[in-house]
Amino acid sequence: MDDLNDGDDQPKSPVTRSALHEREARLRSILETAPDAIIVIDDRGIMESYSSAAERLFGFTAEEAIGQNVSILMPAPYRERHNGYLNQYLKTGERRIIGIGRVVVGRRKDGTTFPMELAVGEVMIEGRRLFTGFIRDLTERQMNESRMQELQAELLHMSRVSDVGQMASAIAHELNQPLTAILNYVQAVRRIVQRAGMSIPPKASEAMDKAVVQATRASAIVQHLRSFIRKGETERGVEDLNKVVSEATALGLVGAKETGISVRVELSAEPPIVFVDKVQIQQVVFNLVRNSIEAMSEAPPPRNLMVAVLIPESRDAEPIAEVSVTDSGPGLAPEIAQKLFQPFQTTKEKGMGLGLSICQSIIDAHSGRLSASPNGERGVTFRFSLPLLSQDETNAS
Amino acid sequence: MRLEDTLVYIVDDDDAVRDALSLLIESAGYAVEAFETAIAALAACQEKRPACIITDIRMPEMDGLEFQKKLAEERIGVPVIVITGHGDVPLAVRAMKAGAADFIEKPFTDDAILGSISTSLEPDRGKADQAVVERLDSLTPREREVLELLVFGHQNKVIAHRLDISPRTVEIHRARVMEKMKVRSLPELVRTAIQAGIAPQS
Repeated sequence: MDDLNDGDDQPKSPVTRSALHEREARLRSILETAPDAIIVIDDRGIMESYSSAAERLFGFTAEEAIGQNVSILMPAPYRERHNGYLNQYLKTGERRIIGIGRVVVGRRKDGTTFPMELAVGEVMIEGRRLFTGFIRDLTERQMNESRMQELQAELLHMSRVSDVGQMASAIAHELNQPLTAILNYVQAVRRIVQRAGMSIPPKASEAMDKAVVQATRASAIVQHLRSFIRKGETERGVEDLNKVVSEATALGLVGAKETGISVRVELSAEPPIVFVDKVQIQQVVFNLVRNSIEAMSEAPPPRNLMVAVLIPESRDAEPIAEVSVTDSGPGLAPEIAQKLFQPFQTTKEKGMGLGLSICQSIIDAHSGRLSASPNGERGVTFRFSLPLLSQDETNAS
Repeated sequence: MRLEDTLVYIVDDDDAVRDALSLLIESAGYAVEAFETAIAALAACQEKRPACIITDIRMPEMDGLEFQKKLAEERIGVPVIVITGHGDVPLAVRAMKAGAADFIEKPFTDDAILGSISTSLEPDRGKADQAVVERLDSLTPREREVLELLVFGHQNKVIAHRLDISPRTVEIHRARVMEKMKVRSLPELVRTAIQAGIAPQS
C-alpha cells in the first residue's frame, strides 16, 4: 500500500484507487456501526472524523463537529484546558489520558453532562500526528453494558471493604462518649460523698471500683478494635487531588437518574498534592455527589451541582486544599443539620445513616475537616479540607 | 487562690460527657461552667476569664482547633486542655502546635484530667519536666530523628523514606523510643515530646 504514503495529487492507477476506495468504505462502515463513539483529532485538537455513535452521544452531527475543536465536547474546566494539555503532551510527552484511559465527564450539544469512559490512541500518518478517541457512554441508559456493571461492582466492593472499617471507627468514636460519661460519673460520686464528710461503705466503694474497671475495659475493647482496623487500612500515597476528585465525580454521575442536572467541575490551577488513601477520599467525594444528586432529584429546577477543588489563601502555617460539593436542592432542616454527622441519623427510607459519619471518619483520619453549610439562595455546600504536602515531602515520597 | 474561686470552662457538645465532667471537676473543688458550643464559651470568656478551659475537638459549628485559634487571636491566654475521642497523632500534633496545654484521649480517669488541670494552672508550666528531659537525652541520635519526624505527624512510610531505612526499622526505633520515654500511646509520645520542647519541624 505504498500509494497511501505518497500523498501527492498524481492520478492513481485504477487498481490502487479502487483499493483505496475499498479501504475507505471499510473504515466508514466501522465508524458508522461501532457501538463506541470514535473521534479522530489532529494535533491542534481539530476533529477530522466523527462517527455515527458520536452523533447520537453528543447531539452534534458530523457536519457540525468536523472542523471544530474537540473541546466543545467537554465541560469546563477541561474545555478551556484541553489545548494546553495537548501542547503539553506534544512538548513534553507527558500523558494524561493517551494510552491510559479514564472515566471523564462529557458535554452534550444541549449543555448537559454525562459520565463516559475515554481511551485515546495515537498514530502518525504521513508525518502528521493524529489521535483517535474511543468513547463509551456510562449513563443509566447503558446500565446493561457490562463495563458499566463492572465499574459499579468495583466501586461497591471498594466501599464495602472500607465501610466495615470506617463504620467500626465511627461507632467506636460514638461509644467513647458514653463511656467517658460513665467513668466520670462514677468517679465523681466517690469524691462527692467524701467531700460531704461521709464514709463510703466498703462494698459500695468496691462496686464503684469495679464499675470503673469495666468501663475502662469496654473502652480498651473499642481502642483495640480501632487499632485492629487501622492495621487493615489501605495504603496512602501521594496523589493529585484534582485527579482524585474528577474521577470520583465522574463515577458519582454514573447511573444517576438523568433528571437534567447540570454539573460543573472547577479544579485548582496548581495541582494540590496530598498524601491520602485515594479510594477512601474518592468514596467521600462519591458519597457527597450522590447525596447532592439525590437531594435535587425531588427539587424543582434549576438543578445545579458544582464540585470544586481549590487551594485557599492560607491564613496560618498549615497549607490545605479544599474540596466543595454544592447543590441547589431543598437544603437542610435545622434539626437535621445538628445531627448530620452522627451515625444512624438518616432522612432516607433506605440506608443506615452511616454515609456522612463514615465520610467524617475518613476525613478526620486524614487530619482534615468536613462541614456542611447552607448556601445563600438554595441548597447546601459540603466542604472538606486536606493538608497539602509540602514541596519537601512531595520530593521525599 | 482558693480552689472554689478557680473557674474551669468545659466545652463539649455531648450532653452526658459535659454533665459528668462538670460533676467530676466540681467534686474536686473547682468552680465549673459548661458550654455546649465553642461559640458560647468564647462569648463567656469576654465576660469572665476562666483559669483553664477543657474542650472537645470534634464539635459542630466551631471545632476545638478553631476555638483554640480564636482564643489566640483574641489574646485570651488561658491554658486549654484538649480532650478527644479520636486520638490520632496528627490531631494531637495540631492541638499541641496550636498551643494546647495538654491533650487527653477519651475516656480518661479522674486522676488524668484533674492532674492535667492542676499542671496547667502551675505558674511555671511549659518548663520541661526534668525526668522527661533525661529520658530525651537517653535517645540515640537516630531515635531522636525518628521522634522528631513522628512529632511532625509523619507516617512510618514517609519517615522510612526520609531516613532511607526500611519501614520495619522505623517501627523498631519507634517502639524503643516509646519504651524509653515511658509512654503507652503515640499521641502521648507526641504530647510529651512537644511539651518538652521538641518543636514539630515544618
